[in-house]
Amino acid sequence: MKRLLAGLSVLFVLFLTACSSTDSASGTTEDGKTEIIFWHAMGGELEASVNAIVDEYNSSQDKYTVKPVYQGSYEESLTKLNTVAGTADAPAVTQIFEAGTKQMIDSGNIQPVQKFIDEENYDTSQWEENISSYYQVDGEQYSMPFNSSTPVLAYNKDAFEEAGLDPEQAPRTYSELKEAAEKLTIKEGDKTSQYGLSILNYGWFFEELLATQGGMFVDNENGREGEATKASFNDEKGQKVFELISDMYEEGTFYNSGQNWDDMRASFQTGTMAMMLDSSAGIKGLVDNADFEVGVAYLPHPDDVDPQGVIIGGASLWMAKDIEENQQQAAWDFMKYLSTAEVQAKWHVESGYFAINPAAYEEDIVKQEWEKYPQLKVTVDQLHDTVPSTATQGALISIFPEARQQIVTGMESLYQGEDPKAALDKAAAEVDTVLEKGSRSR
Amino acid sequence: MNDARDLQPVPSQKSLPKRNLFAFLEGWLYLLPSIILFGVFVFYPMFRTIYLSFFLADQMGPFEFVGLENYQYILSSDSFQSSVKATILFVLYTVPAGILLALFLALLTNEKIKGIGIFRTLFSSTMGMSVAASSVIWMFMYNPSIGVFSRIAEWLGFPAIQWLQDPDYALLAVSLSTVWMNAGFAYLIILGGLQNIDTHLYENAKVAGVSYLYQLRRITLPMLSPTLFFIVTVSFINAFQTFGQIDILTKGGPVESTNVIVYSIYKDAFINNDVGSASAQAVILFFCVLLLTALQFKLGERKVHYQ
Amino acid sequence: MSGQLLPSSLSLNNYLEVFQKVPLLTYLLNSFVTSAIVMIGQLLVSSLAAFAFVFMKFKGRDFVFFLFISTMMIPWEATMVPNFMTIQSLGWTNSYLGLTIPFFALAFGTFLLRQHFKTIPQELYEASQVAGISRLRFFWNVILPVSRSSLITLGIYSFLTNWNMYLWPLLVTNTESARTVQIGLKQLQTQEIASDWGIVMAGVVIVILPTLLLLFAGQKKLQKGLTQGAIK
Repeated sequence: MKRLLAGLSVLFVLFLTACSSTDSASGTTEDGKTEIIFWHAMGGELEASVNAIVDEYNSSQDKYTVKPVYQGSYEESLTKLNTVAGTADAPAVTQIFEAGTKQMIDSGNIQPVQKFIDEENYDTSQWEENISSYYQVDGEQYSMPFNSSTPVLAYNKDAFEEAGLDPEQAPRTYSELKEAAEKLTIKEGDKTSQYGLSILNYGWFFEELLATQGGMFVDNENGREGEATKASFNDEKGQKVFELISDMYEEGTFYNSGQNWDDMRASFQTGTMAMMLDSSAGIKGLVDNADFEVGVAYLPHPDDVDPQGVIIGGASLWMAKDIEENQQQAAWDFMKYLSTAEVQAKWHVESGYFAINPAAYEEDIVKQEWEKYPQLKVTVDQLHDTVPSTATQGALISIFPEARQQIVTGMESLYQGEDPKAALDKAAAEVDTVLEKGSRSR
Repeated sequence: MNDARDLQPVPSQKSLPKRNLFAFLEGWLYLLPSIILFGVFVFYPMFRTIYLSFFLADQMGPFEFVGLENYQYILSSDSFQSSVKATILFVLYTVPAGILLALFLALLTNEKIKGIGIFRTLFSSTMGMSVAASSVIWMFMYNPSIGVFSRIAEWLGFPAIQWLQDPDYALLAVSLSTVWMNAGFAYLIILGGLQNIDTHLYENAKVAGVSYLYQLRRITLPMLSPTLFFIVTVSFINAFQTFGQIDILTKGGPVESTNVIVYSIYKDAFINNDVGSASAQAVILFFCVLLLTALQFKLGERKVHYQ
Repeated sequence: MSGQLLPSSLSLNNYLEVFQKVPLLTYLLNSFVTSAIVMIGQLLVSSLAAFAFVFMKFKGRDFVFFLFISTMMIPWEATMVPNFMTIQSLGWTNSYLGLTIPFFALAFGTFLLRQHFKTIPQELYEASQVAGISRLRFFWNVILPVSRSSLITLGIYSFLTNWNMYLWPLLVTNTESARTVQIGLKQLQTQEIASDWGIVMAGVVIVILPTLLLLFAGQKKLQKGLTQGAIK
């Protein structure tokens, strides 16, 4: 034991002295290429897709090399970026989720890509406007959209048929939704074996249900015309969303599936509920894993409004400010490559995220994919049918993560019998306080 | 040292001031590695945290001095009050139950019986599972549609409970899984303590013909007290810091019922980008736990029986 | 997390795919090396400190001990970012140094060993002083061997704790060659899109297996240590 310990100690001193490797974050490789680091949060299958795209980019030209590095979840990579910003460890390109947009703009650490668009007269009209506008402020394009998704209504066609509903006719208005949910709910004694609908306790879905009514999340045109100072989601439109959930839950047609995406999908796949809201990016996996026919439809809306469409979610790519000019050029070149129709078609097919360049949908691989998964086309149509406005452009606030937590708490309190208006007002009051505090940011 | 001196009785330390100084220096020398490392990696960040708690700060650093505003803000917020409540409840649910369970299992397997090793390995095995992996397993078991708990409830004729989605049960559910996760290590420590007890004491007791309970009260527990003192202190401190299972099972929900202070600190520091508030909460938590532990040392260690 | 989580789907294919998806072998090696280094570092540093706390009398001893204990109460969220900056300024990112050194001092370990050392009769120490044995020899030749069971317990604890670390390694490493297994597990999962749980579960099994093996081996040693090590 002692000898073992002594031996190991020697070994470990050796290890410590031998293993201080130096690995510069970015710079020039020996073959004269400019190397840049690209931080992303794409795990699992998505990482394989990202790596393949980067590999193809690296071999498609001989000036630049991109090195993709997985940095954990969106929150983790953003934290790490904030900590290393301005140092040699900072990457040239980072993928940041949509809720971090305002924070990135305010951070002062990023270079808006507009500079390069202007310099080159790059034609941004080839981008999907309903996607790129999210990352535009005062007409300036800050980041390059990358992986984008929107919510849709997913439903179990087999269950529809059994309930005597038309599986090709998904509910669109709240009353249609309630009616369908009622028919879909199967009760056995005091137990419910199948619920009508489920919405994940996640702030994003609330934002979307609000936006499709043309509702604003915060004042000053969703923070797009000026710094947001107050929450405005607790108006009539927001109340309609909360009332829908509250009413359906009380009627026993709504299933509370918690905060976990995987839990919700597992419940849907095991038939616990027949309809749910899901991300467009998850549809393909859903279709593959379900042993029933999955239908996809537009987001539902209250009876008396014209649906305005959806806000884009997902993430975009941001360029660092404090890096050398040639590295910024490399980053821009890589971004341009990413937005070509060819790459976007591949990305759309492999990941299920939207193509930011609609020309991609004309590519053959997309057409084939859509034949196999007609559901995907519905998600794209919903995006195209979206009416551009500050409501569907989405809120621009730096305290988005916290605002979403408040909405979640509000949603959860509905299941405890809280009054929808009271729940919403409480969330709004909390968000107001945080907004006030956030307004004092650097 | 010469042989003649070795035969003399040990001199009292007071009579030799030089030796005293040497002992003093040598003592510190043994502590030096720890002190340096703690200084750099624990106390420095702690002082920085105290400093940041007086500022508005984000992940890039402080940007506006605000005095005690962060503290006022926290102490007056409903959210923090529910965090305090959740933390206290969580500690009460997990610490006594965890220690009693471990003590019970350790007493049970302290006997020398053939094949007891299997049980010892089994009971300590929860220690080998990471919190992340165990949490995923528990999440699966709590799942209302496919989990084992709802199957049992169904079999017994009760309605399936959404353990993790119901504010009345979520904290209990997280506590239950925590007791399970922590039991392995506490068990191992207590078993080690039990095995360390001089077997002669038990043989004498046997000769005297005392009951098991008397033996437990008069021999086992006093002799085990250094170990028990350790495990109680450490379990308390750890319970205040529990994070992993909450992040995976509930994310502090539903309706903030499991939003313990450490989780709230995590959210502010790593998600909400409000480092000032996170720092102030960390300082509050630190001093509360410090006070409790100091009390524990003052009151508890007097009762501990060292050899 | 659908029904496929059940063992029936853990086909061999999933295991092979795990190794193709992420460089798991490198990660396993890194985790093993860092965990072993941390384990030895913690055992040495903690036992030295615990020895001083039990067998030496010097001014301020109890205060310093409580100061040590207080380090356990500092939430890790508060220390993580400043420590990362320290590591960065020392140039220890992407190296074993940054992954191990910050964890060498462990109040928990010092406390655990102190409690054990305290059950060792003081007469033993006095006798060694009489015999003129240096403190360091006494520590190495007497104290450590009789405390074998506590040292093994602490060793298992430190190895496992380090093996299961996620956020710190993620912060201080930027290259796959320096990364550890828990990052690999996270890397197998996706956020918005359904993860392939068959593969994730295969990864979990691969990562848990070494720790369970270690625990069982440690247990065996512990059984022997427990029966032999106690001093009567």
